[in-house]
Amino acid sequence: MTSDSSSSPSSSDTEFADPNPSTDPGTNSERVQSQLESMNLSEPSEVSDGSHTDYGGGDDDDDAPAEVALSNANEGGFTNGRVVREDLAETSGEEGREASLRAEHPVEMEAGEEPPSPTSSGYDGERGSSGGATSTYKADDASEDEIREANGDGDTASQHEAAWLPGKRHVHEDDASISWRKRKKHFFILSNSGKPIYSRYGDEHKLAGFSATLQAIISFVENGGDRVNLVKAGKHQVVFLVKGPIYLVCISCTDETYDYLRGQLDLLYGQMILILTKSIDRCFEKNAKFDMSPLLGGTDAVFSSLVHSFSWNPATFLHAYTCLPIQYALRQAAGTILQEVCASGVLFSLLMCRHKVISLAGAQKASLHPDDLLLLSNFVMSSESFRTSESFSPICLPRYNPQAFLHAYVHFFDDDTYVMLLTTRSEAFYHLKDCRIRIEAVLLKSNILSMVQRSIAEGGMRVEDLPIDRRLRQKASSTNNQGQDTGGPDRLRDISVGTGGPFGLWHFIYRSIYLDQYISSEFSLPVTSHRQQKSLYRAYQKLYASMHDKGLGPHKTQYRRDENYTLLCWVTPDFELYAAFDPLADKAMAIKMCNQVCQRVKDLENEVFLQGASPFSW
Amino acid sequence: MYVWCVADRNSGTLSGLNSSENAVPADAKNLRVKLVLLGDSGVGKSCIVLRFVRGQFDATSKVTVGASFLSQTIALQDSTTVKFEIWDTAGQERYSALAPLYYRGAGVAVIVYDITSPESFKKAQYWVKELQKHGSPDIVMALVGNKADLHEKREVQTEDGMELAEKNGMFFIETSAKTADNINQLFEEIGKRLPRPAPSS
Repeated sequence: MTSDSSSSPSSSDTEFADPNPSTDPGTNSERVQSQLESMNLSEPSEVSDGSHTDYGGGDDDDDAPAEVALSNANEGGFTNGRVVREDLAETSGEEGREASLRAEHPVEMEAGEEPPSPTSSGYDGERGSSGGATSTYKADDASEDEIREANGDGDTASQHEAAWLPGKRHVHEDDASISWRKRKKHFFILSNSGKPIYSRYGDEHKLAGFSATLQAIISFVENGGDRVNLVKAGKHQVVFLVKGPIYLVCISCTDETYDYLRGQLDLLYGQMILILTKSIDRCFEKNAKFDMSPLLGGTDAVFSSLVHSFSWNPATFLHAYTCLPIQYALRQAAGTILQEVCASGVLFSLLMCRHKVISLAGAQKASLHPDDLLLLSNFVMSSESFRTSESFSPICLPRYNPQAFLHAYVHFFDDDTYVMLLTTRSEAFYHLKDCRIRIEAVLLKSNILSMVQRSIAEGGMRVEDLPIDRRLRQKASSTNNQGQDTGGPDRLRDISVGTGGPFGLWHFIYRSIYLDQYISSEFSLPVTSHRQQKSLYRAYQKLYASMHDKGLGPHKTQYRRDENYTLLCWVTPDFELYAAFDPLADKAMAIKMCNQVCQRVKDLENEVFLQGASPFSW
Repeated sequence: MYVWCVADRNSGTLSGLNSSENAVPADAKNLRVKLVLLGDSGVGKSCIVLRFVRGQFDATSKVTVGASFLSQTIALQDSTTVKFEIWDTAGQERYSALAPLYYRGAGVAVIVYDITSPESFKKAQYWVKELQKHGSPDIVMALVGNKADLHEKREVQTEDGMELAEKNGMFFIETSAKTADNINQLFEEIGKRLPRPAPSS
């Protein structure tokens, strides 16, 4: 058997890289390089490796083809892997990851750039990434700090722009179909006897042989007293997750991190538990050959919607939820009635707008995990029947109690706004219906429903609305002029009039640690297309993964630049900020902008966050 | 055809999803009854209900999750009104075990199959047995063969449906939620067969 394995499921050091990296002549990194030189970047280890993977990231595209390397998975694609950790004694796990990715994928390199070796691109030694973040960002010479090597998210091949449609597609495919083999991201759920339970593409029944193969790989390694976490085969990563009798597998060539792919499998499993509870394990105890797929009948839309959300919903990697921006008084009014409802014996009551929370309340000591909230709202939003009439349905919250069903009362007030009332009592429907009538009366009286519609129309925070400090602008203009001399007229950028927000700020996500909530700015120019947005999220995901690398302890700041973005991440005990700038943005200005974003979020916190939501902080 | 005779279905302790605590006591002229729809997935239970309650038909299939609750009041020719509190249950296998939650205490059970699907007719037979074992003894049962407009694809003969209904003392009708054929008749006929409470004074 050729697969690599590790007995430590959470270790990030278990990846195996192809030891024969190939280099691929660059197409556009020359421009980036000249720009970098012209910007007088003197930071010792800042590198734009201009890595440009030659396949697109449109994993939920139906059209964009990608080469599938499954067929040579047994031909040595990963037979001669090596343990990356051995090469990385002095560098971070993230760098190890980067190195392994680089070795894995063709990377553009070019004269004058520092080679993207792990040791050349670590944190800047003396000032250190783990130093006080606050002082770093206040310092005027902060641009000396926290340089990290950039690694581009080369999501450029995808042509996908079409609107996403729910439900399973390509059901007639199977593993013999060329189109099926070219899909960029597959998800499979199977039983430990090899019976298919769910496949993102294709008909599960026709994939029985393929499922059996996956099962054989997992069993083979398990029989050796070990566990297979990740197999790399060319451009593809095959990620495995074993949950008792349930096996989950992702086969992806989207260049996402192992941690995030594994997190996606975790969510997929959670979605299944939400529908069936963990008591399905007992069915396998009774009958190892139990066929579970009929039990998930009619849920394709739920799973496909979840998989789609991996590429657009930051909640899937931030493990936090987001609120609909609304006036503080209105959110308070909604929260008060939800609290009253909970006091009458309801476990959780939630007022939601699409995937965003308007307000929520929980019974005493009941705590709702953000992942449960994500899975719950995905379930409700992707099941059309909830919109037809009020419903009462058993659901399980995997983080709250994976063993037992709760009963959910769901009612849509309009196309977007709905209430969910969760109880342990199966006979509580009429009580919940009465609660809903009371809630509806409050919503109508305080005009919340129309304010919600207005908030949807207006959108959330915008980078364009951030106040511009005049002194900053002057300083930025002077630094930027140097870049303009050689950057060519098409790269000229009037700092105050350019696309996006001030000083090249394109987008940000602010996550409040205590509240378990995040606020994400609206997408603005130039990040407008679905493809660009997905590409940016992929970049954030990598940033998030590198900041939360368990092996090397929490990092505090990170600054990375590639040909697509300048990314800045700042983690404090109170919040995490992820910001994306123009790749030519001035570093010192970018850091100042991050401070302004944080200030702006704090100014607006009563409108963008749900304050004092006890359920998450017990 | 046999109709169950009941004295007063609102008396006694009801468990399950019953609105007895907030119900206006039924009188002879204003009946109120809990109705549950059962049957295989995709036979058109929700379509029947939506046709009856809202006069709508949507061909795009929307899988019901758990159970949907709708109500509709009709007036019968003898000037009584019947308020149906309808539990439209999901036909998916995983909800089978939860069915008692919805049919317990129901005054009416409507078991639906698809005339183009023998499989769904088998499932209807299962539900008939299940209700005879565990439903209220006084429950009014109807057997409905839906999708009658698809007669060129018919695989379950009308006679088979009638036979099953007759053997089990059920009211039988073939309907089409798509064309609205026999939908109102179904509910009117159920209304007529409902036991009337004894005059209280």
